[in-house]
Amino acid sequence: MLDAFNNGIVIENPYPVTQVEIIQAPLPDKVVLPLQQRIGEEAEPCVKVGDKVLTGQLIAQTPDKFCTPIHASISGTVVAIDQQIIPHKSGLKSTCITLESDGKDEWIENEGVGDFLHCSRETLLDYVQQSGIIGLGGAGFPTHSKLRCLQECQTLIINATECEPGISCDDAMMQHNAREVVRGIEVLLHITKATQVIIAIEDDKQEAYHELLMFNHNERILIQQIPTKYTSGAEKLLIKTVLNIEIPAEELAIDHGILCQNVSTAKAIFDAVVDNKPLVSRVVTVTGDAVTPNNFEVRLGASFEHIVALAKPNNQPHAVRMGGMMMGVDVASLAVPICKITNCIFVNNVKAKEVVQECIRCGQCNQVCPVGLLPQQLYWYAKSENTEKAMDYHLSSCIECRCCDVVCPSHLPLAEYFSFAKALYRQETQTQEKVDNARERFEYREYRLERNKTERAEMMARKKEELKQKMANDKAQKDKIAEAMARVKKKNDSDI
Amino acid sequence: MIAIFSSTSQMMRQVIYALALGIGASYYFFGWGIIAQIILAVATAIAVEALFLKIRKMPIAPAIGDGSAALTGILLAISVPSIAPWWVIVVGVAFAIIFGKQLYGGLGNNPFNPAMLGYAFLLISYPLQMTTWAGDFVNLSQALDVIFNLNVVDALSGATQLDEVKTQLALGKSISELSVHSTAQAYINAGFLLGGLYLLIRRIIFWHIPVAFLAGIVITAFFLSLNDVEYHLPTQNHLMLGGTMLGAFFIATDPVSACTTPKGRLIYGFLIGMLVVIIRTFGNYPDGIAFAVLLINIMVPLIDYYTQPKVFGK
Repeated sequence: MLDAFNNGIVIENPYPVTQVEIIQAPLPDKVVLPLQQRIGEEAEPCVKVGDKVLTGQLIAQTPDKFCTPIHASISGTVVAIDQQIIPHKSGLKSTCITLESDGKDEWIENEGVGDFLHCSRETLLDYVQQSGIIGLGGAGFPTHSKLRCLQECQTLIINATECEPGISCDDAMMQHNAREVVRGIEVLLHITKATQVIIAIEDDKQEAYHELLMFNHNERILIQQIPTKYTSGAEKLLIKTVLNIEIPAEELAIDHGILCQNVSTAKAIFDAVVDNKPLVSRVVTVTGDAVTPNNFEVRLGASFEHIVALAKPNNQPHAVRMGGMMMGVDVASLAVPICKITNCIFVNNVKAKEVVQECIRCGQCNQVCPVGLLPQQLYWYAKSENTEKAMDYHLSSCIECRCCDVVCPSHLPLAEYFSFAKALYRQETQTQEKVDNARERFEYREYRLERNKTERAEMMARKKEELKQKMANDKAQKDKIAEAMARVKKKNDSDI
Repeated sequence: MIAIFSSTSQMMRQVIYALALGIGASYYFFGWGIIAQIILAVATAIAVEALFLKIRKMPIAPAIGDGSAALTGILLAISVPSIAPWWVIVVGVAFAIIFGKQLYGGLGNNPFNPAMLGYAFLLISYPLQMTTWAGDFVNLSQALDVIFNLNVVDALSGATQLDEVKTQLALGKSISELSVHSTAQAYINAGFLLGGLYLLIRRIIFWHIPVAFLAGIVITAFFLSLNDVEYHLPTQNHLMLGGTMLGAFFIATDPVSACTTPKGRLIYGFLIGMLVVIIRTFGNYPDGIAFAVLLINIMVPLIDYYTQPKVFGK
């Protein structure tokens, strides 16, 4: 078994899901579908308020190459296209399409691509894009663009590690859909032409591992168990663990012929390419000490409230978090919709915050940082807003995994400081750039004025010289004429 | 793997518990003086810290509650002679807390080890009181008598083994003519060694500093004894006399003033160990731990800067 990167932390799943079933959430009465994707332009709606839509029908898209189209996740009526709160750190509002269910869940007819083995790579990529598939691990990068920038792929890594402790949606999905996962990987194999596929799965998912083994008959697909440890799901660290290749900080995995895809993405690709179904639902783990932890398959755009209610929350005040306990974001309201990247909802009873104490430089954070940073040094520089020094200490390499926060005995919010310092640095460099541009412009103007002045002076001098010359010439001419006149006069005089 | 602590005060408490064995051994051999010194030191440390926090308009309760002031007091109390007059420890602890810690901005901001700063201050200011050690077990009434009535009873006192060896070597005797063994100090050192191992197992300290510290002592002492075996203290005595184990596991490992990178910790510990032997051998003071630690504290930022670990992908 490999353990190639040394740090990181082992956190026992605090709220294990006891039931292996994936519970089908009932159809929501209404769904809210944000038009803004993680990256790329906001999609443009192609339906109007009052339109009837079918499940799987395209309702918004743009020609932007990063944009993935948005599909109706239920059948019913478009009731609004307006600003709604979306699950975001800052409680942002964004344009969303709201659909009201007719309770029938009628699907739109979709022709699909037929047998994928007879399709060209481009056709399949377009189809993946048209099916609205993005990375379902939590980062949400559009799958088609990741596949498109691939020149030559030797190794395809299927990330079947759960990205954070406490989340089990991928695990549950693999246990139930191992066949679809393996078939989805075969589609990916066909697209990427990879020579080998490694499914990296954590060693605490034995059931899923055996399910995959059972359905895998492709000798190019290897299933590899890796130690269960937090941050091993991060792409570059996963590559280090699986292949013992360290991707340099400035480069991408793709530059090394390696492509990583989340296991749920593979399943979504199967659904789209083989079952002709666009991405309209996903498995979400609902966990935390205020609920009975479970995995639910739920339609995109359903409210958090809709699914949290199914997990039997207690009556105390709750703190709700989207994503994992480590890197997730707190959401202010349960009205926010489930998005493609919503892999987990944490519902905890509100607790008193730990008292923050001074850093005593104990070095526990150094021990766990998966990328080998010195968080306590960075903390000093981030706190004093000395971004230059922080960059010296490789602030940009911080992946904000919050391992350091967890072990800090002083309960310092280290990752928050680092994210702040990064933002500050960005702002500073932008300001610096503006200042530099302005200075350059100013200096160029000065130079131009100076140049004009000298040019003018030179021109004046030249003109003057010419004039002088001309006058001299004129004088010579005049003299000649005078001379001639004199001669003529003389002659005339002598003639008389 | 790594232990996760619920708070810094929990870590400090663990360090205080780990000191118990060494303190127990000191008590067994030298009696009640040590207990009285600890009580005086902790009371002074907390009072002075509270006073200064009030002056600095900082919240008092959390800072006292973190246990760092008490720990500084205890470390200094077990470093001064157990029969030193009461004002020695009070002045020393006050100096340590004020000049070693609060003036720099409190816990976490001090560049020097506060306890050792207090110790160095006392050693320079009151050399006589700082080098008069209990010669034998001192009972409670004797201890109180000596500490509070300043009634230095000659019968109770003696020099430490390191001091004695130094004096005798200076007088021209050779190591083989001296008895450099001290059962009491060997047991006390063993007590601190065991306490230190406990801290290592609980992962409150990391192995780098103590191991490098002891390696520094062993290697330096070994090379010195190669030079002239009759006039230099043998290596094993360096390890078991004076404050060696206390220094290795409890003093040099003070996280605030020590190096923080793994490589830096090795260099830091080694340099202190080396300096300890050099000061013990060639310096004017019997034991060199305080000065060695303070001197290398100065170099910490430099060492840390040049020993940054390799960052992933760089």
